[in-house]
Order: sequence, then structure tokens, then C-alpha cells
Amino acid sequence: MSVSFTTGDEDEISTSEHERGKNRGKRNSNDKEKKKKGNGRRKASREREGEEDLQDRTEKREKGKKRRAKNDLDEKQPEEEDEEQVKVKNGKVAKSKKNLKNETTRKIEQEKKEEGDAEEGKSKKKKKKEEKDRGKQTEKEEEKKKKHKKETSEEDNEEEEEDEEEKEVRPESLSPEELEKLKEAVDEKKKLIQGLRGKPWPMKKKLVTLRESQEFVEKYEGALGKGKGRKLYAYKVMMTKKWMKFQRDFENFKTACIPWEMKIKEIESHFGSSVASYFIFLRWMYGINMILFGLTFGLVMVPEALMGRPYGSIPRKTVPRAEEGSAMDFAVLWDFGGYAQYSVLFYGYYNNQRSIGWLKFRMPLSYFLVGVGTVAYSYMVVIRTMARNANESGVGDDNSFNFSWKMFTSWDYLIGNPETADNKFASITTSFKEAILEEQESRKDDNIHLTRFLRVLANFLVLCCLAGSGYLIYFVVRRSQKFALDGLENHTWWERNEVNMVMSLLGMFCPMLFDVISALENYHPRVALQWQLGRIFALFLGNLYTFIIALMDEINLKREEEKVVKFNITMWEASLYNGTVSENSTASPITIHPADIPRGPCWETMVGQEFVRLIISDTMTTYITLLIGDFLRAVLVRFLNYCWCWDLEAGFPSYSEFDVSGNVLGLIFNQGMIWMGAFYAPCLPALNVLRLHVSMYLQCWAVMCCNVPQERVFKASGSNNFYMAMLLVILFLSTLPAIYTIVSIPPSFDCGPFSGKSRMFDVIQETLESDFPAWFSKVFIMVLFYIQTKIQIAFIQLAIYYLQSTSKSYKEANVELKKKLQTVTLSELHVVWILLLTFEINLCFEIRALVF
Amino acid sequence: LPKCPRMVSPAIALAFLPLLLTVIIRYRFYFVLFYRAILIRIWKDCVTGLTREERAFQYVLTHATPGDPESILEAFDEWCSKVEFISNIGPKKGKILDRLLLEQRPLTVLELGTHCGYSTIRIARALPLGARLYSVEMDQRNAAIAEKIIRLAGFDDDTVELIVNPSDEVIPRLRSDYGLERLDFVFMDHWKKCYRPDLELLEGCGLLGKGSMIVADNVLFPGAPKFLRYIRKCGLYEWKIHRATLEYSRGIRDGMAELVYQGIK
Repeated sequence: MSVSFTTGDEDEISTSEHERGKNRGKRNSNDKEKKKKGNGRRKASREREGEEDLQDRTEKREKGKKRRAKNDLDEKQPEEEDEEQVKVKNGKVAKSKKNLKNETTRKIEQEKKEEGDAEEGKSKKKKKKEEKDRGKQTEKEEEKKKKHKKETSEEDNEEEEEDEEEKEVRPESLSPEELEKLKEAVDEKKKLIQGLRGKPWPMKKKLVTLRESQEFVEKYEGALGKGKGRKLYAYKVMMTKKWMKFQRDFENFKTACIPWEMKIKEIESHFGSSVASYFIFLRWMYGINMILFGLTFGLVMVPEALMGRPYGSIPRKTVPRAEEGSAMDFAVLWDFGGYAQYSVLFYGYYNNQRSIGWLKFRMPLSYFLVGVGTVAYSYMVVIRTMARNANESGVGDDNSFNFSWKMFTSWDYLIGNPETADNKFASITTSFKEAILEEQESRKDDNIHLTRFLRVLANFLVLCCLAGSGYLIYFVVRRSQKFALDGLENHTWWERNEVNMVMSLLGMFCPMLFDVISALENYHPRVALQWQLGRIFALFLGNLYTFIIALMDEINLKREEEKVVKFNITMWEASLYNGTVSENSTASPITIHPADIPRGPCWETMVGQEFVRLIISDTMTTYITLLIGDFLRAVLVRFLNYCWCWDLEAGFPSYSEFDVSGNVLGLIFNQGMIWMGAFYAPCLPALNVLRLHVSMYLQCWAVMCCNVPQERVFKASGSNNFYMAMLLVILFLSTLPAIYTIVSIPPSFDCGPFSGKSRMFDVIQETLESDFPAWFSKVFIMVLFYIQTKIQIAFIQLAIYYLQSTSKSYKEANVELKKKLQTVTLSELHVVWILLLTFEINLCFEIRALVF
Repeated sequence: LPKCPRMVSPAIALAFLPLLLTVIIRYRFYFVLFYRAILIRIWKDCVTGLTREERAFQYVLTHATPGDPESILEAFDEWCSKVEFISNIGPKKGKILDRLLLEQRPLTVLELGTHCGYSTIRIARALPLGARLYSVEMDQRNAAIAEKIIRLAGFDDDTVELIVNPSDEVIPRLRSDYGLERLDFVFMDHWKKCYRPDLELLEGCGLLGKGSMIVADNVLFPGAPKFLRYIRKCGLYEWKIHRATLEYSRGIRDGMAELVYQGIK
């Protein structure tokens, strides 16, 4: 083949060949040093590609070759070596190439033959030259012979062939015409690569062609540059490889930096994207809570602990004398009483000192602003995420073209586990069957009255259940108030924790009951899921609000108690004063230990404690259910199955499935409680971070260890914003009571950062008056008045904007999809089918191209 | 008011009500089955002093036409669904069995687990002329009743041969004692734990030829997990599971495994 290019200047070639022969030893050693996977692969592929070029060009001179006598031995040896290389190459290249293997090997064998011929020709030519100047060549010839005799190592061989390639097309040696030709060829290949997708070829051929032409372009594009261009090109290639490797490593590093990414991916591959979506949501929630925690911890708890007055200095920072004996008991601490109550964890501990420490830290202001800031930040994040999701998520009409959706979009490509894949397969099949049945039934529509009756009945039952649970909670909270009036010490642990227990238990069991009841309704699974979510939502919300209403009652009780206490304290102080005066007339400062001073009930701390207890009991129930309901069940099913009279795994108890909707709702309501209670218990975000952290590990473990993939695997892509919307609603609903208490109820007189003020937000006014110059406060108030109305309008506008944008995108997508699909009549359907298929194939193709 | 300090408060107990309801509603079929198959059985055993099978036989005797397999099966079905519960193959899965038999047209049939003879009659009436059914029953008393019922249905010794012995003893002797070379059809409905060992025994004795069909009832409930695992793994069979519900009960899922022996390739 080299002849076709170099017939004109044989001498030049021979000399250059000779020079290279001298250098070979050096280069070989160099190469051995460089022996790396990537290198090897590249070399192998390049060499192969060279062979292919060879094939192209040898076709021209096939006839000439035929004339030459064939030496069998000479031909066989390189062939064997080549085969070796092919094996190596195939081993190195990813498994997706497997299908191509046969074809490629066949092709390569062909090429090998031809190449063998070519080599033979070359050696002949060499002999001629050797005759010309034997003195120079002997050394090299010996080397060559040696190589042919003993089994040359793979690398040497590659090297040799590379040499031959270089010999074939030395850009320097090309005439301008040939260069032009080469350029054209490169351009042609480039065109081919671009237009490859549209070619009606089988996938294999496309892949092979793509790789060939890519390699061709890669090789000769650089070769077109003259002189130093080649070296520069090699350098460029090396750098791009390095750069790519670096990028890949960097990507890996970035993935490793995302917390729990690998865990979630693993779960995703086993259980599909819906279960993974829960964990992603959990992680997102964790992030938000981290920031809330950072705010409260850094700006409220730490300053107070470091710079505020120490424990025991004033009454609000001291355990009262009556509780001192039991203040360190575990039971009391577990209920967040005793020392836990009189610590930075709760509202009551904070002093109303305007500034603390050498930093002159404005504690009450900071407390207030952090409370407002956490809520504001949460609103911002939730709305921003929602808007982003709304932009991202493809909006489509789910109902009109049921079968096409099912046909083209039902596979979840993230599934990597055979069992899940089986389940998914089965679920798709069943969904098809169901859809067909549904279609038939919708045409028949008999027994509609029975269905309606059953649906009404189911809703009635659910309502009964909701009302029952609401009443039970109300009853329990009222009872707990009675207990509180009696004095909590007289009651058992069960009675003291009744409210939290009942709430957690109802929150756990009622959804199960709803699930069972929903079987009556005979809805489509997706619709059934929405109903289920709605009902659980109603249940949780009802429970939460009953709890809050009961808490409000309790706050009022406490405030009445406070009035009495206030009156008593003045009396007590007066008596104390009188007493001391009567005893010693010097009127020295009375020293009474702060633990002995009577104090008010401090309703804020009470609210905070209630929320903390609720969170704790909720967490405990979640974990205990996880351990009993999932782990213990799985253990029993697994190990009792050896000696049980029926199949436990396939039949009755079986393994549990991961309940995505229930878990997500639990998370959302948990967050709602945090938002509600965080103002009165700064420790809540910290507790929540802890809880989420533990849940992440525990649930990941539980899912992988004791759950089975859902029988009804559904995709979660659409439901993300649904969860977000729920979160927003809960955020709104949970800030309402908090704002109500802050705005309408005066703070306790002797505890908390706002004690002594008539309202909590007075702290702002105070700051404005005393910390800023007078003009500033005036300006501030003016500006406030000026923008007050505008703020409201802006809020409304924001909401309207969001709704409008989403609805617009919905509408557009709807119209477009309808247009697209409706124009496709039945006769044209197969065209779409083919188009989609080619699209999918191209996708695969693209991915493969990327991989290689 | 005097209080019992250890008592869990009633409100917490009430909170468990939804759980209780859920369990009852979700597993109602299992509770019904438990009631019908176990409680009623124990009660009737005490009252009448007869075994369940004897009671069934009495009912069949009084309600069915002798010599008519159809009416005997009907009487059985009625007794099992209305009066008491016996785990026969039942009418629904029975139809699948009938279809398989009609497709297969087997000449030598082995039935493991005769029990009361319900399935024996079902198989025997679907057999072609000249075919022979060997039915294996372990329990002496059941076998006596089954014998009576089979004869009542009009099948003689040439068509149905009842072997009273445990299946693991019978199978190795089938070749020597009964001169069997190959079984065309095997129906398993005895102890679920014996499915797998008996299948292996059948393979080991070389009684299965290419195309022999094995049908096993109740592979999902009560279930024979080891059997299913075995057929999945060994690769000797082409198999599928006919999904149905448990006999005489609506909500419990059950399946019947159909295996076709392919032999070692």
C-alpha cells in the first residue's frame, strides 16, 4: 500500500525507515515505560484503524498483489499476532462491544490477510534496497528477523505496525495534491459522522463506521499540519486525554462530595426512582435544616451560652427549688424538664438584657430576627425550588393518549436490579392489561351505581375515621390539661405522654386503614394514590391543628395562672421587704438564692417543650415501626420460612414495601412542626438535623436490608412538585399559628428575651429608637409605610406570576402535544413508532459514542 | 378514684383501633379460612366423633348419584364451600387440570396425595381409554374413604389403582412392582414439603421422559418455596405457574405449577 503513495521517492522512504530502525530500541523502552491501559487501547485502535485504511487502499492494487507468490509461513505469523491483539482489544473495550465482536474479528481477519500481503510486498522491496546498500541495513535486518523468529511481544508488534503506518502516510512526503485528497477524505469522514444518525443502517454498522471515521479524523486532521504540526498534535491529544481524565476524576470527586449520593444511586438502582425520590427529598430537607440549625445555633444559642449570664445567676436560669431534687433524673431530662428546660434549648432561659458580652450582641433582636429569618428563608427556598421544578418538568397530558404513554414511556431506565426489573416488567404488563380492561369497562360502564355507592361509602368511612381521630386527640389533650392541673407527678409515664403517643399512633395506623378502605373504591392506581395522599394529608393536618388548638387552650390557662403568680409575687416581695425591714433596719440588699424566687409559668417554654416532645415521640415511633414492622418482620419471614407450614415469603406476611407517600408526608409534617415550634425551642432545628441524619442511614439500611421493590413501581418525576406544593402549604399553615402567638399574645413577664415588653415585635421598635439615629428610624418608618402596600401587592403578584407561568407552560405543552398526536392518524401511527424507535436507537448510539 | 398505675391509658388503646381494623379487613380471607378449616373442623370432630373425610363421604353418599363422577364432584364442591373446608383442588383449578389432561392425553398417570379422591375422580374422568391412574395415599383411613368414593364414581381397578403408602416409598418401587417405564403425567397434591424430594426421586428413578408433565397444586399457598426454587434452578423443565385463588375461597392467591420435563440436553 505504501507504494501507492511513495512509488515516486523510494529512497527517501528507505532512509527514513532506516533511521527509525535505529531509534526503535530507544522508543520501545520508552513505550514500555508508558505502558498504560489507555495508551494501549489507543494504540490498538489506531493500529486497527490503520489496517482499515490499508484495506481501503489495498483494494486498488489487489491485482498487483495477486501476482506475487505467497509465502505461507510469513503470512501466518503476523496473523496469529494480530489475533492476539484482537483478543486483548476486545478484553479491554467495554462489554457493550460484545455483539460487535464477531463482525469485527471477521473483518479484521480479512484485513490481516491483505495486510500480510502488503507486508510481504514491503519486505520484498526492502530486500531490493538492501542489495543497494547492504552495509547500512544489515543491523536492522537482523533485528527484524529476530523479531519474526521468536514470538515478538505484543507491544513490539504494535510499535512496528505503527511505524509502518507512519511510513505509509508521511505528511511531509505528500505532494500538495495528495494532501488535498487527504483533506477531502477527512472532510468526508467528518460529514459522515454528522450524518450518520440519519443513515438507515443497522446499529452495528453505524457504530463501527463511527469509530473508524472518528479515528481517521483524529489521526489525519493533525497530520495535515506540516512539520511540527504532528508533534503538536500528539501533544494536543495527550493533553485532551489528560484533561478528559481530569474532568472525569473531577466529576467523580464532585459526586463523592454530594452527601449520600452513592447510597441513593444504589437504592435507585434497586427500587426505582420513586423510592430514590424520597431519599433525595430527605437530603434536600437535611440541607435546609442544616441552614436553619446554623442560624439558630450560631446567632442565638452560642452567643447566649458564651456571653449571656451564666446558669444560676437569675431565676429564669435556675432550676426552682422544688424541682431541684429530680432535675438530673433521666426520666425528667427525657421529658425535657429539669436542667434541659433551664438551658439554652428553650425560650425561657434567654434574658431580656438588651446587649450581652463585650460584643454588645443584641440578643433579643437577634432572637426575633432569627425566628423571622428562618421562616423567610424557608419560604424562599421552597418557592424557588418549586419554580425551578416547574420549569424543568415536562408537562404533558396524561389522560388522553393513555396507551401511547404507556407504550413509550413506561420503562424506568434507572433500574439496575434484576428483581426490580422483573417487577417493573410485570407491572407494565399488568398496567397494559388493566388499561385494556379499563377501556373495555369504560365502554361497557355497567354497575356504575355500585361503584358510586362504594366510593361514597369509602369516603364516609374515611371521614368517620378522620373525625374519630380528631376527637380522640382533642379528648387526650383535654385530659392532659386535667393531669397538668393535678400535677404531672401523680400520673404514669403513659398518661403523661398520652398526647404524643396517640398522635404518633394515629398518624401511623390511620393511613393503613385508608389504604384498605381505598380498595373498595376500585380507582386506577394513580388516582388511588392521589386520594390516599389527600386523605393522609387531611389526617395529619387535622391532628396537628387539633393539637395546636388544644395548646392554645393551655396557653390561655397558663396566662391566667401567670396573672395569679404575678400578683402573688408582688405580695411576696412586699412581705419580704417588710420582713427584712422589720428585722434589720439597715435595709441591706436582700440575698435570696434565685432558685427560691417564685416565678411565672412561662407558656413559651411550655409550647417549646410540647413540640420537642412531639418530635421526639414521633421519631421514636418511626424508628420503632421501622425496626419492628420492617426489620423484625423480615427476620421472621426469612428464618421462620424454613420451618413454617406455608410460604411466608411469597404469601401472607411477606416482606414489606417501602411506603413512599407515607414517608414523604411524615417528613413534611415533621418539618411543619419544626417551623411551628422553632421560635419557642431553638433546639428544634438541631434535633431535626440529628433526626434526619439518623433517618438517612437507618432508612437506607432498612430499605436495602428488609424491603422488597414495590409491586407497583411508578415513576416519581411528576410528583416532585406535588410534594413541594404540599410543603409550601404546610409551611404556610405552620407559620400561621406561630405568627398568631407572636403578634397577639403578650410574652411572659419573667422569662425569655422579650420579657417586660407588651408584644414580642416591640424589640424592633426599641432597636430603632435606641440604636439608630432618630432620622433613620423616621426614614425607616416612612419607607415601611410607603412599601407596606407594595409588599403585599408584590407578594400577590409573585404568587400570581408563579401560577400563571406554570399554567401557561401547561397549556402550551398541552396544545402542542395534542396537535402533535392528533394529527397523527391511525395509518400514520407506525411512522411515529419508527421515528421514536430511531430516536431511541440514536440515543443509545450517542451514549455509546460518548462512552468510547 | 383508685387507679391501676400499670394500666395503659384507654386513649392509647383506642389509637390501636385503626391498626386492628386494618389487619382484620386486609387479612379477612385468612381469618375466614382459619375459622372454616380449623375451628369448625375441631368443633365437628368433637361433636360427631367422625373425621372430616368421613363426614364428607357421608354427605356425598347422600347427595350424589352413584356412578356419575360429575355429580360426585359437585357434591364435594358444595360440601367444601358450604359446610366445611377440605383442600381439594376445587372447581376452578380443576378446570385447568382438565384442560391440561385433554391436551396431554396421558396413558400412565401418577397422583401423589389422593386424600378423599376428589382429584382422582377429576383425573380419571378426563383420561383416554386404556389409560391408567396410580394414586398414592399415605393415610389408611383416608385411603379407605377414597377407595369407596372412587368405586362409587364407577372407576374400577383397571383404571384407578390406589396405593396406600408414603410417596417416598412408593416411587422407587414403581418400576419394579408396577412395571412402569415412564409416567406421562404426575399430579402432586400431598405434603407441600415432599414436592421437591419426590420430584427428585422421580427424576432419579428415570420415570420421567421427555414431554412428561408434572402438575403441582398449592405452590403459592400454603406454598412450596423450595420446590419452586428447585424447578427454577435445575433447568430440566419448562414451567409456568397458573395463578388462581385458593380453592373455595376468593381472596387468597394461589397457583398451580405446570412443568414439562425436557430432560438433560
